[in-house]
Amino acid sequence: MTGVSKSFDGNRVLKGVDFSVEQGEIHALLGENGAGKSTLLNILAGVIPRDRGDVHFDGTHYPHATIAQMEKAGVAFVHQELNVVNDLTVSENIFFNHELTYPLGLLRRTEMVAETRKLFERLGVDMDPTRKVGELKTSQKQLLEICRALHAEAKLMILDEPTTALGNDEIEHLFSILRQLKSEGRSFIFVSHKMPEVFQIADTYTVLRNGELISSGAVADATPFSITCDMVGEQYADEDVYRARELGPVVLELDRLTSESFRDVSLTLRRGEVVALTGLAGSGASELMQALFGAIPLLDGEIRAHGKPASGSIRAAMRGGIGMLPTNRKENSVIPDVSVLENLYLAEHSLSARHQWIHNAREIAQYENLRDALNIRTQGPGVAINSLSGGNQQKVFLARWLNTDADILLLDNPTQGVDVGAKEEIYGLILELATAGKTVVINTLEIPEIQKVSDRCVVLYAGDVVAVLDHDQINERDVMLYSTNAMNAAKGD
Amino acid sequence: MQRRVTEVEAKTGNKVWRAVSSLWREHSYIFVFIVILIVYAVTIQLNGKSFTSGHISSILSSQNTVIVGTMAIGMALVIITGQIDLSIGSALVLCSGVTIVVFNMTDNILLTVLAALGSGLLLGAVNGVLAAYAKIPPFIVTLGTMLIYRSLALWAVREIPAEISGSSSSQFAMKSGSASYEFLRMAFGTGSLRIAGFSIPYVSILFLLCVALFVVIAGNTKYGKAVYAVGSNDRAARLAGVNVDRIKASVFMVTGLLVGVASIIQACKVGNITPASSGRSYEMYAIAAVVLGGIAMAGGRGNMAGVLFGALSYSAIDFIIVSIPALSADIQDTFQGLVLILVILVQTAGPVVKERFTSRRRRSRPAAAAAAGTTG
Repeated sequence: MTGVSKSFDGNRVLKGVDFSVEQGEIHALLGENGAGKSTLLNILAGVIPRDRGDVHFDGTHYPHATIAQMEKAGVAFVHQELNVVNDLTVSENIFFNHELTYPLGLLRRTEMVAETRKLFERLGVDMDPTRKVGELKTSQKQLLEICRALHAEAKLMILDEPTTALGNDEIEHLFSILRQLKSEGRSFIFVSHKMPEVFQIADTYTVLRNGELISSGAVADATPFSITCDMVGEQYADEDVYRARELGPVVLELDRLTSESFRDVSLTLRRGEVVALTGLAGSGASELMQALFGAIPLLDGEIRAHGKPASGSIRAAMRGGIGMLPTNRKENSVIPDVSVLENLYLAEHSLSARHQWIHNAREIAQYENLRDALNIRTQGPGVAINSLSGGNQQKVFLARWLNTDADILLLDNPTQGVDVGAKEEIYGLILELATAGKTVVINTLEIPEIQKVSDRCVVLYAGDVVAVLDHDQINERDVMLYSTNAMNAAKGD
Repeated sequence: MQRRVTEVEAKTGNKVWRAVSSLWREHSYIFVFIVILIVYAVTIQLNGKSFTSGHISSILSSQNTVIVGTMAIGMALVIITGQIDLSIGSALVLCSGVTIVVFNMTDNILLTVLAALGSGLLLGAVNGVLAAYAKIPPFIVTLGTMLIYRSLALWAVREIPAEISGSSSSQFAMKSGSASYEFLRMAFGTGSLRIAGFSIPYVSILFLLCVALFVVIAGNTKYGKAVYAVGSNDRAARLAGVNVDRIKASVFMVTGLLVGVASIIQACKVGNITPASSGRSYEMYAIAAVVLGGIAMAGGRGNMAGVLFGALSYSAIDFIIVSIPALSADIQDTFQGLVLILVILVQTAGPVVKERFTSRRRRSRPAAAAAAGTTG
């Protein structure tokens, strides 16, 4: 691929990128969220058209690549979300849309099963072709997707974060299969955030940042540290909003919390403190936050708010003064059919359900207070919640918790899907709340955001807390080094 | 001068128009009822009779209004939470059986009422626990209990001796003769309150009170708001601390209580119930009343007052068919089905047609549209 460019709505996401993969190599494609990796790969696979540049594959030029063309040429995209059909058997999935049939469309089942078995034998995959895919483990589904791509005679396979769902043994198995296929002359593009894996399996690498090619070369000539530096570049967040504050007494204690997605997390938070949780997908940061709110179960450990136990259920957390602004506003926060006022009061109502009668005038007065305090722009308490912009909706849901007098606020990706101006407003609000004595925990992947507001930053990797950084220690490079576990990979060298 | 007058006229006209259009948007079920009522009045006039308050009174007291309507209030709550209850027709039969048997055995009004409400609550609780806590889809749960409740009533009516069931012909019937019978059947069940020459049956008053109670519960209590929230987005409701399972179970229990009330009305107004034939398809009639009342089948939206007008509209259609001598009663369901589909068609297709109409007008008269835009 040479000089590939792409814009969305006038926003240039790829700026003349050159990218090439040799036959029989595993090429790691790296970059932060929004660096342009998926756009580049989607162009290669023919999913979206490019604005400028050329794509050559196997010596052929593809001026107007489509999915079907690229598939036929031998490019297979193994997506992060698994695209297998759970209700069909393994062999039916392998042959999906390419079924062997008799005239009249009857399936030649035995032949398909036999051919699948042959394919699995060659790859050393231990899977029963007649099993329902729904019964398989995630790792097996991942292998199945790769096998399907191979069966379609793919020469170049794009693996988008293939290891996020896999355990260590399964990753090892996957890698051994990849090495075998590589020796047969197949090529791979390997997208991953996990630095140790990149150094284990990849031959060459390319780093993208802000849609530009930053570096490219042999993995043997690079270090985890140098690659991470290439990924984040020299970015400094402006720190004008952050002010150091006197912190109060301990209000929230996490005691050896363990769940299916994280292990042995212990932490104490003070009154007025802002703590950021961060980590890449699968690190357990988001799950930890949900567990704090009682939304997902703990296997072990205890949460204490104001010295009293607050674990086990959402109600227990709410009684302990904990409120959570969940991620994915539309799914987890918005009650689309009811008004702004009703959306705002929902949490308060469920806490004060002892007194069932609603005092309308009192609620409207309180709504006006919160509207002014948070600068929510609405046309009135009775309008539909969906008539508000994303940022204003988010403020309504923050008000939902302030209205319950929650003093520990958990914010899961609070700036997701809100525009830049509203983002700044939310940062200011978080610090204002902290100054007023609220304890705030935010979970975010955006490191500049962490730098702006947090007193401490807790970094998780694969379910473990790998670092707790103080405000002065928080910088994009180190947070990324810990999140990708490059720090430990480097130590291992 | 003249121009100013027209402007004022236009403004007040605008205000009325806006009030009417907002009424139409949020309470279209009132218009549906008025249209059906006008059709009823016209058919009566065409048959050479005159339309009187007695006709309205008979709509208000018909079985489809008071018995199905009372149960439809519960159905509305269940539908607002995004669920369904198919068992209410069968539950009515079983519950009325219990009510009548308890009356025949004790001859005590208080115990009879408690038996009706208690058995209704129990039947509703079975649905609620299975649907909300055992997570079986409500359609399946209530399909099962629909079969169970009716067959239990059929079995019981044959097993119970005639002096307790009150009849020897596979029927539960109130035993007559006592003072409590006189009160329940004659004074309450078939009696009516006369105000200013207009007579309202007591059972209709009971129904109206139930509607009023639930309009208040839905609009002015935290429970009511939680019911809407669960139906609109149960994930978000859970994350705001609403006990979603409890709310989902509770609406079935409320429906059960209302089935109990309907059983009291059945016992007092009709005096008997036949498990093999009574209450058939009542769950479907109740759903129809709920839909005609403007409550969204998808959950989360709708006004409880709509149930009143939905139930009235539904029984008025009955009366229209009956008032046309050329039509047999067998064709009733055809018309009810047609009206149901027509009303929903107008509600769903109406906005689409309106949108197309206004966009065409906007294209042909951009200046006028701009002027209209500034006033709106």
